[in-house]
Amino acid sequence: MVIYVAPKPKEMKDDFWKSKDIKISIGEIEENEGAKSVEEIPSGPTPKPSITDLRSWDMKLLDRYEPFYAPFCDMCCLCTFGKCDLNGKKGACGIDAAAQQARTVLLASCIGSACHSGHSRHLVDHLIHEFGADHPIDMGMNIDIEAPIMMTVLGKTPKNLGDLKEALDYLEEQMIHLLSACHTGQEGKSIDFESKALHAGLMDNLGMEIGDIAQIAALNLPKGDEDAPLVELGVGTIQTEKPVILCIGHNVLPGAGIMDYMDETGQEEDLEVCGICCAAIDISRYNNRAKVVGPMSKQLKFVRSGVADVIVVDEQCVRTDVLEEAQAKNTAVLATTDKICLGLPDLTDEDADKVVSKLVNKEIEGALILDPEKLGEIAVKTANILSPERANMKMLPDLDEIQKLAAECTECGWCQRVCPNSQPMMEAVTGAATGDFTGFENLYLTDVCYTCGRCEQECERELPLMSMLAKVGERLSKEEKFTIRAGRGPAQDVEIRKVGAPLVLGDIPGVIAFVGCSNYPEGGKEVAEMAKEFLERNYIVLTTGCGAMSIGEYKDEEGKTLYEQYSGDFDARGLVNMGSCVSNSHVVGATIKVANIFAKKPLEGNFEEIADYILNRVGACGVAWGAYSQKAAAIATGVNRWGIPVVLGPHGSKYRRLYLGRADKKESWKIKDLRTGEVLEGEPAPEHLLYAAETREEALPMIAKLCIRPTDTAKGRQIKLNNYLDLYKRYFGRLAPDVHLFIRNEKDIPITYKKDVQKVLEEVGWEPRKIAQEPSLMGMDGD
Amino acid sequence: MSNDRVIPWQPTVIAGPKQALMVTPETAELMIRKSKRPLFVLGPLVKEEPLLSLAVGIAEKWDLPVVTTGNAYKAFNEKGLDSTAYGAVEIVNLLKDPEWKGVNGEGQHDLVIFLGCIYYLASQGLSSLKHFAPHLKTLTICKFFHSNADASFPNMKDEEWLKYLAKMAGQ
Ligand code: SF4
Ligand code: SF4
Ligand code: SF4
Repeated sequence: MVIYVAPKPKEMKDDFWKSKDIKISIGEIEENEGAKSVEEIPSGPTPKPSITDLRSWDMKLLDRYEPFYAPFCDMCCLCTFGKCDLNGKKGACGIDAAAQQARTVLLASCIGSACHSGHSRHLVDHLIHEFGADHPIDMGMNIDIEAPIMMTVLGKTPKNLGDLKEALDYLEEQMIHLLSACHTGQEGKSIDFESKALHAGLMDNLGMEIGDIAQIAALNLPKGDEDAPLVELGVGTIQTEKPVILCIGHNVLPGAGIMDYMDETGQEEDLEVCGICCAAIDISRYNNRAKVVGPMSKQLKFVRSGVADVIVVDEQCVRTDVLEEAQAKNTAVLATTDKICLGLPDLTDEDADKVVSKLVNKEIEGALILDPEKLGEIAVKTANILSPERANMKMLPDLDEIQKLAAECTECGWCQRVCPNSQPMMEAVTGAATGDFTGFENLYLTDVCYTCGRCEQECERELPLMSMLAKVGERLSKEEKFTIRAGRGPAQDVEIRKVGAPLVLGDIPGVIAFVGCSNYPEGGKEVAEMAKEFLERNYIVLTTGCGAMSIGEYKDEEGKTLYEQYSGDFDARGLVNMGSCVSNSHVVGATIKVANIFAKKPLEGNFEEIADYILNRVGACGVAWGAYSQKAAAIATGVNRWGIPVVLGPHGSKYRRLYLGRADKKESWKIKDLRTGEVLEGEPAPEHLLYAAETREEALPMIAKLCIRPTDTAKGRQIKLNNYLDLYKRYFGRLAPDVHLFIRNEKDIPITYKKDVQKVLEEVGWEPRKIAQEPSLMGMDGD
Repeated sequence: MSNDRVIPWQPTVIAGPKQALMVTPETAELMIRKSKRPLFVLGPLVKEEPLLSLAVGIAEKWDLPVVTTGNAYKAFNEKGLDSTAYGAVEIVNLLKDPEWKGVNGEGQHDLVIFLGCIYYLASQGLSSLKHFAPHLKTLTICKFFHSNADASFPNMKDEEWLKYLAKMAGQ
């Protein structure tokens, strides 16, 4: 069964295209798979930008938001001249520590970007094979700007799946050049490595968009549907007495193959298909009977619980020891993409029943099946056979045994020292030795322990700490029943039209996107609480991927999840799950659409103008509280290039590079008013482009502050400042000391803080400033 | 392990051959005494008693200007200690700029004493200063050995650490 989400009746009263100022010149008319399509001539200056085409924009950003480097390692070991110690010294190739950090960031961004575009290449090739190159890219009646990133970067709109190949060809070429710049003896300056990293980030954002619109269009995933169905989330929703197939990773195709096979053979009620990480989100966008176990922080404990009869892995963020872990539980493993083959035999061309027989008879450790349809059949048949045999595997050692194991602990304390978050694992173990399991329970709940397994690796008694955690959590997991709204994909054009003005003028205080993974310092609850805070304050809250799942794992006093309390509208107080990792492209896409639909800025080949618009006028801020992967680094770097600031959790400091503004350097905030041509004193809005906060309490006011933009009207500024000052006061117990920087004239002073703010203004000798009508970084010195 | 006191608390923060000097309260005090413009950076891990009072005691005894990171400001303010609130990454960013005039506008600091920042974040900040702020020295007085600092207390249990801090606070 494929869920079909009927588009709402078209609400666009006027002719959308006529209402825009975009001039479309009719250029060449191409033969395209038999169909004639009209190609628009790019109108902007930088269609298909090369690495250096957007360098001048990057330099403007980097001048204001200087890279801040925190080396994770003093050394470089990339070539045989090394290792080189770069602490106060240059390497044998001449590179210094700053350039080496930037080089590493470029490398990480290339890896992350390659993951998304490799994933998208898979999807596009497969979907073209299945549906044909002329399968239309139709995002439903309410979305005319189907691919805002592609339009801006490539200068054209894809009409069908075949057109996506051109976009992929372009980005693959860019990626080769970018990766080559990491070689020894190539780029030499940190600032140029940064510009390249920003380009890699842009390619990442483009790759994500290609992938998501391909799967939305071809697999009929929700098309910007604000009422996308609520899907079951949580370990407790899985009926363990049924055969269970667990999908881990990011690619929807194997999971879709499984769901299709179950439907075709009338077994849709007979098995449980569930997922961890983004595969879960995308399978549930495809078929809302699929269940979401949760974010990647569940991976090891869920695998150890033995509930899954078959584990299907596709790509990205899969534990690389999944085969070993699964074997210990007699769980069959099926690998499904060229990225993760796990040393398994490629049996794609073998008869499905033969493969099943080999798997259940343990003739093979697992199999690599590259055809999603065949995979569906093999996974279902294998799960059906293994499930009854494995009934005893779904049980963990009982609590007595945990207590006995715990008694072996020597209290060496190393489990705690190697824990990324110094969580009190030793206390949990010593407590369990006396029959008190609350320490383990506290680690289990909301994934305070994200099951990285480092403690277990370190334990001198070789205690199976993760299995012990899974056992103690078993009882709690039964209560883990939540909901998540299925990923809806992009914001509709009509929604953007509605919120465009209030957003740019500041009446809606901002768009905040909670994205990223589970590298949280204190568990997933922190993310849900942050999202709730901003929902209550009328922000538009977007989310994707593991962040979206963490938000769903939180219930209020009435037992409702945030998805049940807040609508999925792209509007103030809307909680919008856009989808998986690749759906992060729609966060950027929404801000691009504001520039186009509200401000009528042409998109085609017009990157710099659009990014300049977003930076100065769209109060958007990303929050990746648990960012961990290279993909997250690439996404954030790309998002930054579009002018959207991002706040990371404390582990984000390990990415080695942040982009920090200096509020104390007045000259770096000068801004040009394009309306008058005047260069004016500006304000630190947004103050930072990439920031790592130490605690949630520090992050909250910072996020609110980073939504302030020079174009806010007085009313909008008051609303935004009110939120910032409220949050600052709550967590710092005083008026924010930098408030004067954001008061342009007396009308900006929030009424509730009037007296206090006026006092500060007097103290610092504040004077009113001119407000730029069309603030811009373009046309300043150096242009 | 015999050298357990000077293996970085989170062992994998080891960055290279340069390691911090392990110091006692006496050496730490000597460093403060020798410094012209020291700065005390207090993080969210010491905003509860008895650490709060000990940190305040140290700041007062040595008359140190104080920066609070994370959300530590509130607790210290309520305790009567005046401080400037910065994000940990913001203060490190300012400290690495030789032109910055310091929290009191009297010139860039020459010694920064850290206490109570989240370990790995502090380690990253110390690495930043180790590489890019040759104009200052760093000292950490947490109960964790910080290899990226110039000088650090060793790994300790609470009891010993509280004694160290009390000594520095002149209590
Ligand atoms: S790439 Fe440069 S810094 Fe790195 S090991 Fe080789 S010579 Fe040394
Ligand atoms: S598995 Fe959990 S407790 Fe163990 S090191 Fe990782 S996060 Fe810490
Ligand atoms: S590492 Fe093992 S032996 Fe050491 S304290 Fe932790 S559980 Fe106990």
